[in-house]
Amino acid sequence: MLHHSHSRLFPFALAIALAFVGSPATAQNATKPFTTARGEWPSYTGDARGSRYSPLDQISAANFSTLEVAWRFKTDSLGPRPEFKLESTPLMIGGTLYTTGGTGRAVVALDAVTGALKWTHKEDEGPRGTAAPRQLSGRGLAYWTDGRDERILFVTPGYRLIALDAKTGNVVPAFGTNGAVDLKADIDQEILPDITTGEIGFQGAPVVGRDVVVIGAAFREGTAPKSYKNNKGYIRGFDVRTGKRLWTFHTIPKKGEPGYDTWLNGSAEPTGNTGVWSQVTIDEELGLVYLPVESPTGDYYGGHRPGNDLYGESLVCLDLKTGAKKWHYQLVHHPIWDFDIPAAPILADITVGGRAIKAVAQPTKQGILYVFDRVTGKPVWPIEEKPVEKGEVPGEWYSPTQPMPTKPAAYAKNGTSIDDLIDFTPDLRAQAVQIASRYKLGPIFTPPVVSKADGPLGTLARGPTNGGSNWPGGAFDPETHTFYVASSNAAAVVLGLVQPSKERSDMDWIAGSAAPAGRGGGLGGGGLSVQGLSIFKPPYGTMTAINLDKGEIAWQVPHGETPDAVRNNEALKGLAIPRTGQAGFTVGTLVTKTLVIAGDPQVTTLTTRPRGAMLRAYDKKTGAEVGSVLLPAPISASPMTYSAGGKQYIVVAVSGGPYSGEFIALRLPAGGPQ
Amino acid sequence: MRGRRLGGWATRRLGDSATRRGHGALVVALVAGVFAASIGAADTHRLPVARTVWDSVYSAGQAARGESAYVKGCARCHGAALTGGDQSPPLAGSAFLGNWNGQSLIDLQQRIKTTMPSDSIGIYDAKFVTDVVAFMLKANGFPAGAAELASDDAALKDIAIRTSRPAPPN
Repeated sequence: MLHHSHSRLFPFALAIALAFVGSPATAQNATKPFTTARGEWPSYTGDARGSRYSPLDQISAANFSTLEVAWRFKTDSLGPRPEFKLESTPLMIGGTLYTTGGTGRAVVALDAVTGALKWTHKEDEGPRGTAAPRQLSGRGLAYWTDGRDERILFVTPGYRLIALDAKTGNVVPAFGTNGAVDLKADIDQEILPDITTGEIGFQGAPVVGRDVVVIGAAFREGTAPKSYKNNKGYIRGFDVRTGKRLWTFHTIPKKGEPGYDTWLNGSAEPTGNTGVWSQVTIDEELGLVYLPVESPTGDYYGGHRPGNDLYGESLVCLDLKTGAKKWHYQLVHHPIWDFDIPAAPILADITVGGRAIKAVAQPTKQGILYVFDRVTGKPVWPIEEKPVEKGEVPGEWYSPTQPMPTKPAAYAKNGTSIDDLIDFTPDLRAQAVQIASRYKLGPIFTPPVVSKADGPLGTLARGPTNGGSNWPGGAFDPETHTFYVASSNAAAVVLGLVQPSKERSDMDWIAGSAAPAGRGGGLGGGGLSVQGLSIFKPPYGTMTAINLDKGEIAWQVPHGETPDAVRNNEALKGLAIPRTGQAGFTVGTLVTKTLVIAGDPQVTTLTTRPRGAMLRAYDKKTGAEVGSVLLPAPISASPMTYSAGGKQYIVVAVSGGPYSGEFIALRLPAGGPQ
Repeated sequence: MRGRRLGGWATRRLGDSATRRGHGALVVALVAGVFAASIGAADTHRLPVARTVWDSVYSAGQAARGESAYVKGCARCHGAALTGGDQSPPLAGSAFLGNWNGQSLIDLQQRIKTTMPSDSIGIYDAKFVTDVVAFMLKANGFPAGAAELASDDAALKDIAIRTSRPAPPN
């Protein structure tokens, strides 16, 4: 395996780096020298708590719309070809921005004020990288310092944990073996079929707390897996100094461990996946780590793994130093909806009925925020086991009940009914009803069905796979105890199952359609749209604020410009359609002193401005939109903010459609003579 | 090395501002009349092309071929109904159309050809990709015609993706 490290220290960058090493701030507080409170952004979500909060206030309602481009950094040249799915949120520490980028997941350090490149580091992994289940640039990095050493940690597509010297971009030879830990090794299982092609990887950002770096595990898209057997997504903690493995948590319990008996017929043995492909959260104060665990093998069919399948789709709390389980709560029993748990759990110190609670809030694809006491694992508001429909797929095992929180109310639509179909005009409604008639409709937890050409083609669902809120998750304002999240109501997914050929899969059932793909609508339109319109009523996407002291939605507004397909639709001519918002699962939120900031996930083409997507700011108290700026492509990652040289910056990643990945830094215009 | 500003696109926009509406304890501003979009406003013409995807640019037989190709090569991640996956964007509907509105078919063809399938890029030849594009056009409701969509760059370059049917010339 080749290791390329290119250090390109320009003289001025070297000067900055040297000044930085000697800065008293570094020495003052060895454990936490860098925080969002100081205008930095030292972790993927700002802090290790999942907050995405910064107290900066230079950019405000009064001036947001005047933001200008400070610098741009195109990621095309970081890999062998341009990337169109840039999901990374940079870190900013000590005047340097660190981020992943490019199709091969390079790491770059940029000057925070100018955007000038300081160094790049790229691992060439050959076939191991090419075979990776999670390709491309990933979501980001972790930073660690002991006040002297500064390290950047990242996971390669080929699933190796690399420690870089933050000043130079060179590997830290003392870490692991020559700077790298092979994550496919020392994982309490043999990765099959071999180290090079064995399916396991991670595209999330590592997270560090108390000198422990915690690494997730991810696999290929799982609605139609090749086998019911797969590698297991165990989660591990490593010593950030040496790379030594400290602990492994078996997300699928081994024989003799608690939870093993929730996999009937010994199905814990062959079943895999059940990793954490999103973000791990750490409470450094309590020394606890929170894992949002995904689905076991087979997103829509669990007949090969009868039982509740712990810790599939469970929020799991571990001791950070030992990996010992403190508590868990399974959000979905016997997962067959691909809900996963898609985002960073958010640590929220709240006051409920006069009682201070250290809580953890978990946003989900099902649009439900699950809130627990993060010390005890007890729900803050009661969660009731509700009876749910039993399905009829041969061989499937069904949980008779599912947990349903009593508070807060769902922030996104998570079921389907005739009443949810568009009614802009009688004609459009009739077409939507006709399309829907070919599917089974129902509330959350309506099970998948066997796809039949004469109907139903599948269960028409919202929430599964890419609904609600996905990997960008939410944000939390520690001052007002308010949680913010962007979510989608219009991500229609068909839960239909077909029997695969033996060559395609050894599963009894995989996702598929008995009708030829794309003909689901049978009307010549997109399978689940009518004349380019979603069959569901708007709003397609919203921004929601939830007061976590009360467990109540404070406000909810449509998020995103009305799509071209609505605005320019002949069938809607003459109708006044209020802003619909946009469906999309890449919308991350950022909270500052006064604003909630999030971008549009879709490009729109208006007569009044150039084609593009808006980055929007809302008054965080009221939800009123107070400003916006036009960007050239969909905002494809969570924005971040920092202060450098006396100015506040907001950095967003944009990409999508024909537009390749680019970071754009925004700041206020120079003041000029006053 | 002061911050540089690259021209070419505006950084400011119109001053839309949200209003909200009280509803009991729950303040929900799902609809605000001030946002009413102007329905029927024409697309901005971005490309100097004569043809669009509304001009029956592919054949039904080609779309059927593309459908088989899609099921084999794309559906695992993008879904049998083109609804997308955990990691993969939808290939039909308004999100897809919005992001490609005003672009040409060569952009779409090249995007697929140079990035898919993500774990073995480049295994699909131009014809395979063009057939899939034909199927995607069908799935998005664009009409089929007599002639197949040609996979050469020059032909694809001259066909614009347009969310809505262009108004007939006066």
